[in-house]
Amino acid sequence: MSLQVAQAIAVKDLRTEIRSRSALSTVLPFAVTMLLAFGFALGPDRLLLAQTAPGLLWLAALFASVELCHRAYQNEAANGGLEGLLLSPVDKGAVYLGKAAAAFVQLIVLMVVTTGIVIVLFGLPVGPAPALLLLTAVLGIAGLSALGSLLGLLAVRSRTRQAALPVLVLPLVSPVIIAATRATADLTHGGTAGISEWLSLLVAFDAAYLAAGYIVFGHLLED
Amino acid sequence: MTATHCAAVRLSRVTRLFDGLAAVSYVSLEIARGERVWLRGWNGSGKTTLLRLIATAISPTFGGGTVLGFDLQTERSAIRARSDLLSHETRLYGDLTAVENLRFACSLYDIDPLRAESALQRVGLEEVAAVRAGSFSQGMRQRLALARCLMRAPALLLLDEPYAALDIDARIVVDELLITAHADGQTVVVASHEAPPAHLIDREVTMDAGRVITPTSVAPA
Repeated sequence: MSLQVAQAIAVKDLRTEIRSRSALSTVLPFAVTMLLAFGFALGPDRLLLAQTAPGLLWLAALFASVELCHRAYQNEAANGGLEGLLLSPVDKGAVYLGKAAAAFVQLIVLMVVTTGIVIVLFGLPVGPAPALLLLTAVLGIAGLSALGSLLGLLAVRSRTRQAALPVLVLPLVSPVIIAATRATADLTHGGTAGISEWLSLLVAFDAAYLAAGYIVFGHLLED
Repeated sequence: MTATHCAAVRLSRVTRLFDGLAAVSYVSLEIARGERVWLRGWNGSGKTTLLRLIATAISPTFGGGTVLGFDLQTERSAIRARSDLLSHETRLYGDLTAVENLRFACSLYDIDPLRAESALQRVGLEEVAAVRAGSFSQGMRQRLALARCLMRAPALLLLDEPYAALDIDARIVVDELLITAHADGQTVVVASHEAPPAHLIDREVTMDAGRVITPTSVAPA
C-alpha cells in the first residue's frame, strides 16, 4: 500500500509537471542563466573554467532543487492539496517518498541539460569513468531531492515561506554538495583514487536524509 | 442507547486560537451517529474551523473529545480513515483531468478506480471526464469534489458550504448526497450561512463568534 501511494504521488507530480511545464519554464532557465553568468564572470580562461565547472554544476543543481521543491509544494498547497494529503489515511512517509521520487526525476532531467551546457561552455571533460560520473550525479541528485522534498514542505507551511528554504537547505545540504563536487572534479580530471570515499559519503547522507524525511514528514504536515 | 454511547462527535470545551484570537471557543457538542446536523452561522462564526477540528485538519488549542469513538488528539488516523471533509478548497489538481483527480483519490483511499467513472456520472461530469479540472468553473470543481465524497461514503461526512457556487442541478446532487448518506447511516454535518432545507436535516446548530449558541444535546427522536 505504501509503495502504491508513493507511486501515485510521484506519477501525479510528474504528470502535473509535464503538463504545466513549471520546472521547464522557470527552473531550467534559472539554472542556465546562472551558469552563463558564472561563465562570463570567470572570463575566457579555459583552465579556470574547467577547474570550477564541477562546483558550478552542483551549485546550479542545488539552487534548481530549492526552487523546484518550493514550486512543487506551492502547487500542492493550492486548492488545499496539502490538507487533502494530511487527511488521507495513508502513510505520510510514503507521500514524502513519492514527492522525493518526482523531484529526483525532474532534477535528473535538469542535470542532463545543465551538464551538457557545462561540457560545452566550460570545457568540462567527461573523464575516463563516465559510469562513476553518472553514479555521482544520481547519488548527488538523490540527496538534493531527499532534503529538498522535506524542507520544501516546511518552507510552504512556515510564515517566512520561501525565504526560509535556502536558509534551511544550504547548511544541511553542504556534505552532499562537497562530496558530489569533489567526486565530479576527481572523475572529470582523470582520477578515480579516493572516489569510493566520496561516493560512500553520498550514500550515507542520502540514506540519512531519506530516513529522516520518511519519519519527520508526517509531523511537519500536521497542524 | 444513550447519546454518549452512540455519539459520532462528542466535543468538550474545544477551543482553537489563531494568533491569540479564538476562532472556536469552548464548544461542547454531541452529534449522534446517523444524524444530519446543519451548522449555521454568519461568516467568521467559527463553522469552518469547527469542521476542520472535527476532521482533524487542525488541533484544538485546548479541550478535546471523540469522533466516531476515536480520540481527537491521539487517534487521528482512525478518524481520517472514516471521515471526509468537503470544503471550498476542493483539493483538486488543475493539471489533472476530472477522472485522473478521482483516480488519484482512489489510490489514496484504497478504492477501486472503476468507481471514479460512476461517481462522475452521478454528478453529471461524465462528458468532461478527460478535461483538465483547471478549466472547470467553480461549480464544476465543486461537483467533482462531491464525486470524490460519493466514491468514499465515509461514516462521517463534513460539508463546508456545499451549496456555494452551485447551480440548481448541482444543488440537487448535494441534496441527493444528503439523502443517500442518511439512508446509508452516515453522519453528516453541513456548515452553511444559509437556512437549512428542513426535509434533509435532523437538527440545526447555530454558531456565533466561535460559540455554539443553540442547545447542543442530541434531539429526541
